[in-house]
Amino acid sequence: MDRRAFIKLTAITGTSAALTSCGSPELPLIRFVPDEDLVPGIAEWKPSVCPACRAGCGVIVRVIEGDAEVVRNEQRGVMKMGLAKKLEGNPAHPINQGALCPRGQAAIQLTYHPDRIAHPLKRSGNRGTGQFEQITWEAAIAELVSRLDGLAEPRKLAVITRTGASARHDLVAEFLNRLGAPPLVPFEVFSDDVLRRANAISFGHEQVPTFDLSQSRYAIAFGADFLGTWNSPVAQNVAYGRMRQGRPGIRGRFVMVEPRMSQTGANADEWIPARPGTEGVLALGLAHVMLAAKLRPGDAAGRAGAAIDGWSGGLTAYAPDAVEKRTGVPVKRIERLAHELATQRPAVAIIGGAPLAQTNGLFQALAVNALNALLGNVGEPGGLQFQPQMAPAAGRSRPGLDPARTLSTLATEMLSADRLPSVLLLDGANPVFGAPPAWRVRDALLKVPFIASFGSFLDDTSVLADLILPDNSFLESWVDARPESGATVAVAAMAPPAMRPLHDTRATPDVLLDVAGRLKRPLNLPWKTYDELLKSAVVAGIPAADADDAWTRACQQGGVWSDPARPSQVATRQTPVTVRSSPVSDREPRFDGDANQFPFHLLPFASTGGFDGSTAHLPWLQEMPDPLTTAMWSTWVEVNPQTAARLQIADGDIVELASSQGALRAPALVSPGIAPDVIAMPVGQGHQTFTRYASGRGANPLGLVAPIVEDDTGALAWAATRVKVMRVGGRDGKLILFAGSKTEHPERSR
Amino acid sequence: MAHRWGMAVDQDRCTGCGACVAACHAENNIPTVGDDQAARGRAMHWIRVERYWEGEFPDVRLKFRPVMCQQCDAAPCESVCPTHASHHTDEGLNAQVYNRCIGTRYCANACPYNVRFFEFYNPVWPKPLQLQFNPDVSVRSVGVMEKCTFCVQRIKTAERDAKAESRPLKDGDIQPACAQSCGAKALVFGDLNDSESEVSRLSRSSRGTKLLEDLGTQPKVTYLQRQSE
Repeated sequence: MDRRAFIKLTAITGTSAALTSCGSPELPLIRFVPDEDLVPGIAEWKPSVCPACRAGCGVIVRVIEGDAEVVRNEQRGVMKMGLAKKLEGNPAHPINQGALCPRGQAAIQLTYHPDRIAHPLKRSGNRGTGQFEQITWEAAIAELVSRLDGLAEPRKLAVITRTGASARHDLVAEFLNRLGAPPLVPFEVFSDDVLRRANAISFGHEQVPTFDLSQSRYAIAFGADFLGTWNSPVAQNVAYGRMRQGRPGIRGRFVMVEPRMSQTGANADEWIPARPGTEGVLALGLAHVMLAAKLRPGDAAGRAGAAIDGWSGGLTAYAPDAVEKRTGVPVKRIERLAHELATQRPAVAIIGGAPLAQTNGLFQALAVNALNALLGNVGEPGGLQFQPQMAPAAGRSRPGLDPARTLSTLATEMLSADRLPSVLLLDGANPVFGAPPAWRVRDALLKVPFIASFGSFLDDTSVLADLILPDNSFLESWVDARPESGATVAVAAMAPPAMRPLHDTRATPDVLLDVAGRLKRPLNLPWKTYDELLKSAVVAGIPAADADDAWTRACQQGGVWSDPARPSQVATRQTPVTVRSSPVSDREPRFDGDANQFPFHLLPFASTGGFDGSTAHLPWLQEMPDPLTTAMWSTWVEVNPQTAARLQIADGDIVELASSQGALRAPALVSPGIAPDVIAMPVGQGHQTFTRYASGRGANPLGLVAPIVEDDTGALAWAATRVKVMRVGGRDGKLILFAGSKTEHPERSR
Repeated sequence: MAHRWGMAVDQDRCTGCGACVAACHAENNIPTVGDDQAARGRAMHWIRVERYWEGEFPDVRLKFRPVMCQQCDAAPCESVCPTHASHHTDEGLNAQVYNRCIGTRYCANACPYNVRFFEFYNPVWPKPLQLQFNPDVSVRSVGVMEKCTFCVQRIKTAERDAKAESRPLKDGDIQPACAQSCGAKALVFGDLNDSESEVSRLSRSSRGTKLLEDLGTQPKVTYLQRQSE
């Protein structure tokens, strides 16, 4: 090559390189005029509400000016705008008091996720193939309106949402109410409905309590992962820190009862692996010792005691030796624990998670409730308290829920030809991932003629939708939540958008209001926009002259919480008090699967990163080591060392788990903290569709869960399935651990 | 008097929830490396929660221990660095100057705490994840060693704000992202030169120990052992 040719060549390649560096041709360099006042480099903190679970923690968002590619009027361009940079706990918020959990910290990635749905989509391929085409908002809303107008009768509309009280829920409920459609169906795998029912019976409050651990001297937990994933973990962590080291000279003692050591159990002073489904028997065994030794007055338990068969007779069926036989916990230990609980008060018992997900879950909850009542801690400092609830936003006395209408009944309806809904709306729930296979939710959805989803991501359920009307992220919208527990004052967390939308998305509540007005017979909802609804809730009962100030204050501090000085703002949720006519006697737990064929209890548990599966798409959480195993990007099967030795299973070996419902394969992890007859598996992975980070990764233990239900409430007994385990191969490298070893090497071996 | 930044970690409060780990990623622009690289031990966690099993079923216990750079006063990482990328500031921090780092990885070899992380590749931030970047923290590229800085950007901001308002820094004015997020208040940051500060008080606790203290590294992080009866 001569010099001339070389220069020619480099000139051409240089030019083409320069051209490509100009960016993709569909992105013209449009500069939008910023529509907010920002000082470059100066951070502003704005309130918001964490959407990761129903705990309703308040966050503050650090917003700094930056350049972002955005869509405005369906045109892409670059805009200087306030961008969320970091989430922190809202220090003024009564639930989380400035702290957050890892899922809350990672929630900012919901906004900036590369696989967020950026504009309305209409299905273009077969259902489930994930083929969609972009459409305009005008077309998308027209499509939904015409589908709703085309309903033969209103009862042919069904809505599946996430759980948790909020004005958003109230709006959906009111929308359905005015349309004459059946109530919405909230879905959550790890539901606390059994506990709510038990608390209504024992205490007259149909809600999960707040635990005042900061003043407890003793806490005993039955299965509740209250420091990790259960209920309001941040509030409970704050209280736990104070219980341990927050009082001079007093260190609260903590005992955990569970067959597989959870992150919470790892902190216990004493860890007791009672047999699955016998936790309630152990609680009554403790109560028996207290009653027999007259450590506590039997009538202290009142109505919670009366709910238990045999309470007035001193629980003679629960003598320590009988309890040892059933629970596997030695007599001496039962007696010692009972004495400790009775003498180191305030003492509190917490039940949650797997013990409620047995066929005798209600009995187990009632037993622990009676123990709490016997300990005299209900409504007392250091015990359990029921947080007052704010009134629903739509001015109704109760949120529009029908306890008899659950996902399983809805799936049955969908599978029956005459009751098949013609339109299904999905808001944030992923039932195809979370429901047991026997409910056939996916088959049922495939039969529904039209499905619209409001979610921001394609997941196992929304991939089946015909129309997707993507919501703004929580940081781009008005948000709200009315947490049920975690504080002792009523809380309505609420906040304006912290930043402008990045994509061509719209806030779902506003879309619903828009749709409501465009129907052939408009629904005449009393609000034009969602913030009007929120404002009407905040200023309800406040004199008109003060209303604007109250609203401004609520928007600045991230919500309203009741002030003991002004109790008029607070409306306590009125529960129909359901006292049972006869006391509940205990029943042996039943399990799906023959014990000879399926020798192990399957314990699916909410994982730190993946939670119930809903946060598995966030890369920070995928790469965050699991607290007990240090596993990242993985799924695993926890096996007791003796069991592993017997079945010749080593760390990382591939095992097959099979239940009566199906089978899956995953790497094994030998763990000292699990009973020999229990197999545990984290929930979170195993999505077929859920962004680039979670799709096709690992396995989902919920796919093994049998449709066995709690006897009294009909709630899914997700911990009552038996499985068998078989080694099917050596390690395949899919189990990724951060730590090299399980134990600490003492100094002498260095 | 100059500050001497340190931390106390109360293992009796730490519940192993991992909020500190996620908060650190969010604050410090730490990349995720993906499953393949993570399997090669290249995941980057400036703070991690170590867990150690003790005993055998059913008498089994577990111990959590959050570990970040111990900000040693006699830091082995500093003396081995040929470019002074790893050096000691006058406030006692082990600083890492990314522009000086040439990636010898000597420092990571010398560190007994395994808290230094190397960028084996240019980190990938699929758009628009990069919009989350904290503008106060540089984004590192391939060939650079990085580690916990005690959130030096937050220290500097607090010092500047105090100076602008002509007031001394108060104990608690500075919270690194990990300590800020911690619900159980297991992590306490502050000035060890201020004998009245919370961190000084905790560092004098009878439960206090230092990690691998016998190596003579003089760490500025004190671990308060889990209390047992």
